[in-house]
Amino acid sequence: MRKILAIWAAKLAAAGARLLGKNGSSMPGSIALKICPDILTRLSNDIEKDIIAVWGTNGKTTTNNMIYTVLENQGYKIVCNKVGSNMLSGVVSAFISYSTLGGRVKADYACLEMDEAYARIILKYLTPTKIVITNLFRDQMDRYGEIDTTISYIQMALDKAKDATLILNGDDPLTASLGTNYKNTRYYGITENLGLNLNETREGRYCRACGNELKYDFYQYGQLGKYHCDKCGFSRPMPQYDGKNITVDDYVSFDVCSTHVDLPCKGIYNIYNALAAFAFCDSCGIEKSDIAKGLQKYKGQIGRMEEFTIKNKLVVFNLAKNPASFNQSIGNIINEKRTKDVIIGINDNDPDGNDVSWLWDVDFEKLKNDSITSYTTTGIRSKDMAVRLKYCDIDEKKMTVGGDMKQDILNAVNGKGERVYIVVNYTLLFSTKKILSELEEEK
Amino acid sequence: MKLRIAHLYPDLLNLYGDIGNITTIRKRCEWRDIQTQVDSVYGNKKITFTDYDLVFLGGGSDREQLLVRDKLISMKKEISAYVENGGVLVAVCGGYQLLGSYYKLEKETIQGLEILDIQTEVGDTRLISNVVLENEQFGTIVGFENHGGRTNINNHTPLGKVLYGNGNNGKDGYEGVVYKNVIATYLHGSLLPKNPVLSDHIIKMMLEQRGLPSELKPLDDSIENEAHKYIVDRFVNSKK
Repeated sequence: MRKILAIWAAKLAAAGARLLGKNGSSMPGSIALKICPDILTRLSNDIEKDIIAVWGTNGKTTTNNMIYTVLENQGYKIVCNKVGSNMLSGVVSAFISYSTLGGRVKADYACLEMDEAYARIILKYLTPTKIVITNLFRDQMDRYGEIDTTISYIQMALDKAKDATLILNGDDPLTASLGTNYKNTRYYGITENLGLNLNETREGRYCRACGNELKYDFYQYGQLGKYHCDKCGFSRPMPQYDGKNITVDDYVSFDVCSTHVDLPCKGIYNIYNALAAFAFCDSCGIEKSDIAKGLQKYKGQIGRMEEFTIKNKLVVFNLAKNPASFNQSIGNIINEKRTKDVIIGINDNDPDGNDVSWLWDVDFEKLKNDSITSYTTTGIRSKDMAVRLKYCDIDEKKMTVGGDMKQDILNAVNGKGERVYIVVNYTLLFSTKKILSELEEEK
Repeated sequence: MKLRIAHLYPDLLNLYGDIGNITTIRKRCEWRDIQTQVDSVYGNKKITFTDYDLVFLGGGSDREQLLVRDKLISMKKEISAYVENGGVLVAVCGGYQLLGSYYKLEKETIQGLEILDIQTEVGDTRLISNVVLENEQFGTIVGFENHGGRTNINNHTPLGKVLYGNGNNGKDGYEGVVYKNVIATYLHGSLLPKNPVLSDHIIKMMLEQRGLPSELKPLDDSIENEAHKYIVDRFVNSKK
């Protein structure tokens, strides 16, 4: 009875929020949890096939949605926290929105991305049968303390799901090391050297087994690459899912397990995300050619190289939450040869991390580039960002400290560049997207 | 003439944007036509401390700190002599703790370099906060702290009085240590970029130690000062 009451209350609250135009994807879950604390256990028991947990610093939302797209294309019914509400309440909300008023969840799969620190809490209530871990970079460290803390949280969560099949990024030594004690582990990776040569902060260059410095044949990006430890013999596992013949033009494509995959999105990191999704779907017995077809239907999520046209100018909007994803965004900006005006928005709310010192770990020096006609910093920490750009020796005359996002976007659209690039961190994502959509409508 | 900076173990001690401190010193010298050379010290390489005008020791996780301690202990005498002779040393977070007698963790104790008479013990929670300090010479200092250790600095002079945040141990109201030409603090990553007065003080100490004129050409610090003022206004002035 408590379960039914909780579902009704949460559904009612969700409907109310929609009427008010609010984007409260975790709020219904919070309400349900207050009324029925073990609601997640009850609802998740109904899942017919697999409960999938997706963890990792970057690429969780994309990977989870790629999996969702393939499964949906196969005609399955799926519970999924699509928009990235990935703490306990967000996961509960996903189940509630799928549940009938009678409290039944008729679904084949649950695809759940989970915040690294909350996974161990969510796993008190449900046990995933498959776990995908994308990568481990430094992120929002004032919340987690250090990357070692993040890994210990993940280890605690893994200990609660000992029978799960792990699908791990073998190119990341931190992620790969988690599979050492697991029987059912599948690895994905890219064996060919992509030759990106980014100069970045690298985590975990030290062997987690023995502490010795890892030797790399090459890096793809971050600490991802081909590595081994001279001392204890830990080394990059040979991936069962190996991305080959990779091409990166406007869109990326690759072969895996003799199957060709075209992705309707940009960015090297999306190959890793797609490999993770491919590995998962293959483990479910879906035909490889069907997985490729499904992946082709994947639509990018908000703020993932999303394109808008405002006053006949192309505006590219990207979310970047940490040094690794920022460096990727910067790569996208400078690889575009056309001139452009650039906006960088930095907030320091709790979901962003209150500490913005990571800005100094980002390779902003690369933004000192003649193709960029102006730089606007915005968000709560616009001034910190301005200092960061100044210390890249970027011409101060080209820099503006903004603050009103709509005005900042309009100024950039009216700027000298042929395009506009906007990069923001998490809590600026939805508000900026809203402004961009409105400006696009205005024509 | 070139000022030489040794950045110790940037591969291990590089938490929270520590590299920003090096960038700041380097740029503020460059903008005044003072040349700099930064040597990153890796692995088991030994350096001659007297070859350097600034030694920088950053922060790392507990695991990494343990690895670094072993490397540093082998150079204990040299580091100590460098400091006692007025060598300029900036140590942040984990680097700060390592300068003391020990860092006591739950299961083990990391012996320090015993350059400062300070002792650190791990607490139940991490002290995580924006920080504003007051220092008689430099005015306000802004930064961010994130440390599990509580440090007792005994009779040492602190870097500043805490106006906002936790400081050395969350109890006595002080943060960091200033000893000879050593500046040791929990304020990480972006300590120097937003504190141009402190940055220039470090450059002056470096020049003086080399026996060079330490008068610095003034720079336009309006962007840095705006960012500094924002933190003071938000965390101190608005609370008054």
